[in-house]
Amino acid sequence: MNVNFSIVLEYWPVLLRGLGMTVAITMTCALVGSLAGFILSLARTSGNRMLSYPASLYVEFFRGTPLLIQLFWVFFCFPIVLGLSVAPIVSVCIALILYMAAITCETFRGALKSISSDQYDACTALGLSAGVRVTYVIFPQALLRAIPPLLSNVISLFKESALISSVGIADLMFVGQNLSNSTARPIEFLTAVALIYFVVAFPLTRLVGWVERRMLRRFS
Amino acid sequence: MNNAVLNSRVASDPVSYDDSDSPQLIKLRGVVKSYNDGALTVMDHLDLDMHAHERLVIIGPSGSGKSSLLRVMMGLEGIQEGTIDFLGTQYITGTRNKPQKLDPRLQRQIGMVFQHYTLFPHLSVLGNLMLAPTKVHGWTKAQATERATQLLARLGLESKLHAYPSQLSGGQKQRVAIARALMLEPKLMLFDEVTSALDPEMVVEVQNVMLKLAEQKMAMIIVTHDMHFARHIATRVVFCANGKIVEQGPPEQIFTNPKEARTREFLEKVVIFD
Amino acid sequence: MEYQLDFAFLSGSAPDLLEGLWVTVRLAIAANAMGLTLGFALCLMAMSHWALVRWPAQMFIEFFRCTPALLQIIWFFYCLPFLFEVYIDPIPMGILALGLNLTAFNAEAYRAGVQAVPRDHLDASIALGLRPWQRTIYVVLPQALRSAMPVLMTNGISILQQSALVAIVAVGDLMYVGKDIATQNYRPLETYTLVALIYFLLSLPIARLAHVIERRQDAVVER
Ligand SMILES: Nc1ncnc2c1ncn2[C@@H]1O[C@H](COP(=O)(O)OP(=O)(O)OP(=O)(O)O)[C@@H](O)[C@H]1O
Ligand SMILES: [Mg+2]
Repeated sequence: MNVNFSIVLEYWPVLLRGLGMTVAITMTCALVGSLAGFILSLARTSGNRMLSYPASLYVEFFRGTPLLIQLFWVFFCFPIVLGLSVAPIVSVCIALILYMAAITCETFRGALKSISSDQYDACTALGLSAGVRVTYVIFPQALLRAIPPLLSNVISLFKESALISSVGIADLMFVGQNLSNSTARPIEFLTAVALIYFVVAFPLTRLVGWVERRMLRRFS
Repeated sequence: MNNAVLNSRVASDPVSYDDSDSPQLIKLRGVVKSYNDGALTVMDHLDLDMHAHERLVIIGPSGSGKSSLLRVMMGLEGIQEGTIDFLGTQYITGTRNKPQKLDPRLQRQIGMVFQHYTLFPHLSVLGNLMLAPTKVHGWTKAQATERATQLLARLGLESKLHAYPSQLSGGQKQRVAIARALMLEPKLMLFDEVTSALDPEMVVEVQNVMLKLAEQKMAMIIVTHDMHFARHIATRVVFCANGKIVEQGPPEQIFTNPKEARTREFLEKVVIFD
Repeated sequence: MEYQLDFAFLSGSAPDLLEGLWVTVRLAIAANAMGLTLGFALCLMAMSHWALVRWPAQMFIEFFRCTPALLQIIWFFYCLPFLFEVYIDPIPMGILALGLNLTAFNAEAYRAGVQAVPRDHLDASIALGLRPWQRTIYVVLPQALRSAMPVLMTNGISILQQSALVAIVAVGDLMYVGKDIATQNYRPLETYTLVALIYFLLSLPIARLAHVIERRQDAVVER
């Protein structure tokens, strides 16, 4: 069979629109999801079992089940449970936010854990109050240390967001599959879509490595 | 290594023992501390008195509870029994093993420097120095900057104001840590093996800073394994073992003529006698 | 609207669910077998001194890590038969797609493990006169495998979850069967909840084990 990529160029604007949807959903859910993940990590690391147990269960459950089923659950079951109709785009955003919260919770928890007890001792020796300690010593360090893995989480979300095509949201994946079916040119379109994902995600992974090395230098 | 070399490492002369009748700074009475639910006792009904202008050097075998003693005085760890007074105010009592939060007004009068620097890596040198004064004690930025700049200049670090800890050598980090502890003009400084993690040439620069403080009559409690430095800087040497003070006295006596067999045994292991 | 929960109808679908579960387990095990072995080979290639070996290996790794797994699966099912004019059964095709994906992720895990071996240990083994292959076998490998272990296990669990994606290309795995039952009975809530629980219970023991191993390693490192 002959492969001809020029057809992809004809549909370039359509693909770009799909990418726009993917990026918009990724950014929204990354932002809201990481905030939720941070709060969740505070609950999970708190000494209070009423907070830490449910938080742990949440994280384990969301990391222990396929995102696809989480998506289907939110998409098909939320409306039943709540007894009202939810717009598809809202459904998928909720699903991705819940997922992002679970994975970033672990990221923040790791960052909090990586701050050595020496730092806490120094705070006490300087007479810093708990508020000052958290605001000026612990939180900034946790955030700095969390930046590289958080970026990785965002890249994961960017890739995983392709699943929303399965419930009919017109993201890059959906558009690519549609075009590949309607033009009967799967090789050209699916490969092009893969390349688009790659071109966005790959530089981001390099950025993660670069930030990581800078952090290492700062904290060594 | 012979002693001539060792002696020449410390720049200034031995600081003489100041016997003025200064106020009592620290008073420990019957302090008991143990770990692992009492299985390991590191302080066994300890009594200790210290006056302002004194410089105590605590020596003893590894694991004898020297660090624990300093950490307890700083409020980093709690004790089971006993009391600790600072300038006549009881500030630590042994009710539980949990650390007690110190009154900020008292807390600021005690400074502590640790073995592993413990600078805040995300803050510059200046940021490290200014944090407690501005955020806890309400100093203005200008006040804190002025004092920090003065202090750092005195410690030979004026060019490192805006450097980050990771850009400093070990000796520089430790001097910054000392400056940070000095910001609030404490009356007592605690040093826990502050030169143990340093290369030899950096040991000297940190020890010189401590000797300078000694000249300015700063009260200090120093834990060190460097017996020559101990002899130089101490006004009194305290030998601890098994959670008890075995022997204490002026450095000449402890180092040349120890009374207790246990002390002699320890010193024979760690010092080359003249 | 009051919704009546009813899990009873699912008992009739138990055989279907079990069959789907069996497909899922086969997919996960086979993909892991591929990922653990090929991933190691790929890691060695990616760390090779020869650029001609290293570059393709690194390209492979990056490409699989930087594109969605769903897209990889769809690409394999729709493009591979056209490109190479071969027909592969759905389940082996699913294994191939998932296995190659895992290969790329595991290669990275192995590489991180190798890089975590302290430089001192290499120096020490050189000083002891060990030959290069002896250094690799006796010093580098055991330590690298140990530190890569938790990540390899986590990757293994996530491929179990990613295996649900083959439902989208109509492979009859647990997810696919669940979707079928949900639409036929108009009972998504019960069905998807049960299916989610099954996936969770499958991965929970492995996740716990990985956690324990990681904790033990942390404890060793701290000494
Ligand atoms: N948080 C803790 N939990 C349990 N045991 C502890 C704890 N901190 C210290 N110890 C134990 O208490 C004993 C005294 O410790 P400490 O650090 O005070 O000794 P040290 O005299 O400073 O020793 P070194 O000269 O090695 O620094 C040691 O045996 C140590 O293992
Ligand atoms: Mg100690």
